[in-house]
Amino acid sequence: MAEVILRQLTKHFGSVEAVENVTLRIPDGEFLVLLGPSGCGKSTILRLIAGLEDATAGEILIDDELINFKDPTKRNVAMVFQNYALYPHMTVYKNVAFPLETARMPKPEVAEAVQRAAEMLEIEALLKRLPEQLSGGQRQRVALARAIVRQPLVFLMDEPLSNLDAQLRLQTRLELMGLHERLGITTIYVTHDQVEAMTMGQRIAVMKDGRIQQMGDPTAVYDVPANTFVATFLGAPPMNLISGALERDNGQTYFRMEGYELAVDPAVSGIAPDVLSEASGDAQLGLRPEHLTLTSPDAKGLPGVVRFLEPVGSDLFVSVVVAGHAVQVRMPPDTQVNTGSNVRLAFDPARSHIFGADSQNLRT
Amino acid sequence: MTTDSATLTEAPPPEETTEADAMAARLAEAGRAKRLNDRTRKILAYAILTLFVVIAIGPAFYLISPAFRDSVSLFTYPPEWIPSEPTLHNYRFLFSSTSYVRWAINTLIFAGCTTILTLITNSMAGYAFARLRFPGRNVLFFVILATLMVPVAAVLAPTYLTVNFIGDLPVIGDWIDIDTYLGLILPSAVSPLGVFMMRQFIETLPDGLYEAARLDGAGEWRIFTKIVLPLIKPALVVLGIFVFMLTWASYLWPLVAATGNDYRVLTVGIASLKGQFVTDWGVLAAASLLTIVPVTIIFLFFQKWFVQASMAGALKQ
Repeated sequence: MAEVILRQLTKHFGSVEAVENVTLRIPDGEFLVLLGPSGCGKSTILRLIAGLEDATAGEILIDDELINFKDPTKRNVAMVFQNYALYPHMTVYKNVAFPLETARMPKPEVAEAVQRAAEMLEIEALLKRLPEQLSGGQRQRVALARAIVRQPLVFLMDEPLSNLDAQLRLQTRLELMGLHERLGITTIYVTHDQVEAMTMGQRIAVMKDGRIQQMGDPTAVYDVPANTFVATFLGAPPMNLISGALERDNGQTYFRMEGYELAVDPAVSGIAPDVLSEASGDAQLGLRPEHLTLTSPDAKGLPGVVRFLEPVGSDLFVSVVVAGHAVQVRMPPDTQVNTGSNVRLAFDPARSHIFGADSQNLRT
Repeated sequence: MTTDSATLTEAPPPEETTEADAMAARLAEAGRAKRLNDRTRKILAYAILTLFVVIAIGPAFYLISPAFRDSVSLFTYPPEWIPSEPTLHNYRFLFSSTSYVRWAINTLIFAGCTTILTLITNSMAGYAFARLRFPGRNVLFFVILATLMVPVAAVLAPTYLTVNFIGDLPVIGDWIDIDTYLGLILPSAVSPLGVFMMRQFIETLPDGLYEAARLDGAGEWRIFTKIVLPLIKPALVVLGIFVFMLTWASYLWPLVAATGNDYRVLTVGIASLKGQFVTDWGVLAAASLLTIVPVTIIFLFFQKWFVQASMAGALKQ
């Protein structure tokens, strides 16, 4: 068990900046999820911690020890790869025992440790099989068993669920969380799946272009996204963004767009008064689909025309065109609405977000 | 009404039958044409294959008849393909009056040791070129490949001189010299083609395996012996057979490196059976026939590995 610290970690591949100035502190026993689209540098961070890549700049510390120049064989971190990377010519037993045999552990102790890991992951019956005789889910468990068998300081998981089918993914997700609870090993988990991130991470770090965009408790990140990237990356369907401008009249700030204006009140919007008084120019109004409600055309709210209806069983997603923007609204499945009808979208201003010209949320 | 319904129910069957008959006839006709077509194609294919088989094994086959006849009957006219009085005289002569057994043992040592050493050196070199990053890696690799373009005859004299020179050195010269096993074996113990083949094969192994092994605490040697070697087994078998067969049949280097009878190999020994004025063709044929038997057996025994190795590349993800 260990605390992991990254300080201004940077990795360039030629002219490509894979990781740029990343600083993170992962306390002992935490389950941190690195979330981002492919190519955002999240896997590179794992590989840097594992020692499979050398950092261009910055420091990596595990339990206050600088490990930048430590050989990967000596770092005592375990990694679960996306494709599991099981040794195809070895039985499951041999695969799990490999790290222990490499460490020259006496045979009886190896057998005992493998047995323990196998029991924990319920693969005792598979120990004599070869990886090619296993299903995807079973391979995944063997890879996990191989990782936990030597009780590493840190667990690194690189999209371990992405090769599983939806049902198995859900089940394995729960098992991984149970495993973390039992073992309490510091875990850094990489994924591009926001559901995995939201459900598994004690904290999540949303990444883009090699930089951390926002870090924190999953709900907090979802509720108050730091910028438009985080706002649209988290949530399905993503947060609606409507372009307009911030203007100030008689000491009051307004968000104005074609056919609509919203008075932005610092007390309600959560935006600091000094930030609000200085803000002006292009801006975007951010509204989550679940925070919008369809109302009649003569009520207050954003005016729009219903374009598409998407019933998904539990909800009805209504696509409304508001000043040229397609806005998604989540409604109860029994909502009566027709395409082509004029509506207004009502919302609680406290749940709205305003992003400035630099795409940053004015609240943060 | 009754008539109508009767007509309605009775009318279709004849129509259906004609339809079905026509269909059956069409199918039968098409089937006949296809079978005929297939048969013609098969006959043509077998004819071509047979021609090439005759070209390929004809000369070896030609050895069989004289190997079981005495030298006098070889020159009878008209020529006799199947010996009327088959004899093992040639073999008796070979084992009693020549050093055939000695040559065979030498060849086995030469080919066997060369094969084992080549597999060791080539797989290690292949691993280094495929996995390790070191300065001059590409240059070195191309230099090794370039040696493929140098004819064997061109390096014969330099190799001879080198081995001869080492033979004059103290201590090491007792082991490596002209007319020693090591002097014969060592210059053949690396094959540039083998290094290339091993490198290509090792490169197809997924990176994840090396990375997983490194994180599992394994160093290069352990990765090489425990992960890479078992996974390239098919390639090792193929390379091993190639090297064994090539060494078994090699002539030029053994001719100059093993001049005395103690270290002479089969190819050189058989050639020495050819006299300046008189040659016993029967004995020569018997010796040659005996010589190709072991390699043929080895090839037949391992041929499934050949198929496996060629498939391995195709099926690996």
